[in-house]
Amino acid sequence: MRSGAMFERLSRMGAAAQATVPGLYAWGVTVAPAAWARGAPALAKIAAGVAVLALIGGVVGERLGTDRARTPSLWAFVLASALTWSASPASLGPLRIDAPRGIAGMIGWALFAFATAAPALRGRRVEERLVEGEDLAPRKGLARGDAAYVTGGALVAGALQLIGWRAPTAERALLVRFVALAAGLAVLGVAAQIALARHAPRVQRSPARKLRRAMGGLVVLALLGLTGVLFLLRG
Amino acid sequence: MQLVDLLAILLAAAAGAAFLVGESALARAEDLTALYWLAVGVVSLRAAVQIAQPGART
Repeated sequence: MRSGAMFERLSRMGAAAQATVPGLYAWGVTVAPAAWARGAPALAKIAAGVAVLALIGGVVGERLGTDRARTPSLWAFVLASALTWSASPASLGPLRIDAPRGIAGMIGWALFAFATAAPALRGRRVEERLVEGEDLAPRKGLARGDAAYVTGGALVAGALQLIGWRAPTAERALLVRFVALAAGLAVLGVAAQIALARHAPRVQRSPARKLRRAMGGLVVLALLGLTGVLFLLRG
Repeated sequence: MQLVDLLAILLAAAAGAAFLVGESALARAEDLTALYWLAVGVVSLRAAVQIAQPGART
């Protein structure tokens, strides 16, 4: 009951206000420690303060009834956070950031991005039903197994984010994170593509034709495998 | 599900594993090994898509 009431209260807030919660969390985990780290310049502290003000500005703008404040607030928050990190790069070094804090920050920014991009949550909408009576039957049921494909891709993408937090230098740590992000997105995209390919109307192709179409990639893969074996034999 | 569809899933899983090994090597500053495994990952993903993608629409 309490969680239901909380959801109702949350849904009465606007989109910017809802995004403020994960935004403040991301700020608290990743921006504030960088701004108030030992030896951080005043510019980092000012930029961190501006980031919070930008978040609050978005909520105030929404309360005043204008939707125009949302985008400037988002960009001001992100750019001020980036300025904080740029002004205090030493605080982002691998020796200062441990893996749990890095992952917590990553989740915070992902939640902020999701809350900002998604439409605002809404409460119960029973009174908004256009058709009285029973629920309308969907035209097409969702096939089973799609969630398994996407979950598998998400698990691999998540596992990629757990590796490489102890890189020796900040530059390498950034490179590892960039590669992990790109590889995770690629795996997730291909998992979704394979899941969707099952539903696409298509001319039935024989397995031999499918294999022939992928022959180029398979040959390159075999050559890479052979190269790996040769390197292993050479020691 | 045809056997080739299973092959596409296996290739995608192999790509994920190759990315994991490549990223781990990249973090240890073993650049050549990292490059090798990342290339294996990319090629595996490409082959998986080529196998799984639907044919001409009816």
